[in-house]
Amino acid sequence: MKKCLVLAALAVVSLGAQTTPSAAQNKVAPAGGSVDVATATGPAIPRRRAPERVKGPTPHLADGTVDLSGVWQGGGPIGDIAQGMPKGAVIPMTPAAEKIFKSRQSKDDPEANCLPTGVPRIAPYPWRIVQTPTHVFFLFEGNIHSFRQIFVDGRKHPDDPDPTWYGHSIGHYDGDTLVVDTVGFNDKFWFDFAGHPHTEQLHTVERYKRTDLGTMVVETDITDPGAYTKPFTISFTFNMRPKEELMEYICQENQVDAQHLVGFTGIN
Amino acid sequence: MKKLGILIACGAGLLMSALPVFAHHSFAAEYDASKPIELKGRVAKVEWTNPHARFYIDVKDANGKVTTWNFELASPNVLSRNGWTRHSLQEGDEITVQGSMAKDGSNLANARTVTLASGKKVFAGSNTDSDGK
Repeated sequence: MKKCLVLAALAVVSLGAQTTPSAAQNKVAPAGGSVDVATATGPAIPRRRAPERVKGPTPHLADGTVDLSGVWQGGGPIGDIAQGMPKGAVIPMTPAAEKIFKSRQSKDDPEANCLPTGVPRIAPYPWRIVQTPTHVFFLFEGNIHSFRQIFVDGRKHPDDPDPTWYGHSIGHYDGDTLVVDTVGFNDKFWFDFAGHPHTEQLHTVERYKRTDLGTMVVETDITDPGAYTKPFTISFTFNMRPKEELMEYICQENQVDAQHLVGFTGIN
Repeated sequence: MKKLGILIACGAGLLMSALPVFAHHSFAAEYDASKPIELKGRVAKVEWTNPHARFYIDVKDANGKVTTWNFELASPNVLSRNGWTRHSLQEGDEITVQGSMAKDGSNLANARTVTLASGKKVFAGSNTDSDGK
């Protein structure tokens, strides 16, 4: 048993467990991470394919605009939005939002029921950015095969947009950064597995900066006076998948998980 | 040999306890990583479907009573990217599967490894690469 404990300690270290400050405040959940399953179980098991890393300078289109196109993975919270904040930072929930947060059950998570992630949450599947002179599209493999459209043609937000899962997004380029301003969200999606809530007052400003050929950094300002006492910012770094293509993923086809989810929301 | 056995047992325990699974739902809310399960049985049905591929195995106890268990895999896309095909597991295959039991007590589990009758093992876990922090 002692040997097991030693091995367990080594494994935890090697996992590079993520910090989970906000979920830890109220809900008990194990830390996240990943492990090479092939190494852990012996050479007979096919090794999980390691993602290819690409290196090189930030690419640009012929007109000088930063080129963000390609297949990416990551770029937002999955388990807990706090994972995009400095260690120890506290998410400034209002008392009403905290009450909702504490009452949420995993079986009610929209994503578990094959509904969209909304913004800034991301699903753990590849997604593609498609750029045109007037629109930028995010095409999601997971996240129920949905898409976001960002208008980069100079238009403004409508005065009274209908509340939707992805809101109304307008964008512009600031050097090598795509700045996306979104309003008009509904209040139905969750920010993460942990269940952080929001209201229709949510306003996000995302800044996508391709720091090199294979890497993107996105900083998102979250303002929602209906659920948070002050604006806060999350940041995620994610990577290109140069040899991946999106594949079909119809989540509603055989969804039988939600009815088996039990109790408080975990972050994993 | 005994040391090797201990190591394997520890390794299996670690695999069950340390691995989170990223999917469209919370792993921790559906499965109990501290409750590993290992079953031998005959594959009754394979569902190569989203959001998760699944298979069902008939497990016979000492008295001959047959119980059907439902094992969740990753999505077909994740499995394909890791070398599986829809033919990797076939109805009628005799297999041994290791995984984590469902929290709600139903005959449901998340598969980690599947060992075919030939002795070949295949990785079954649902966790994908989660780039970024």
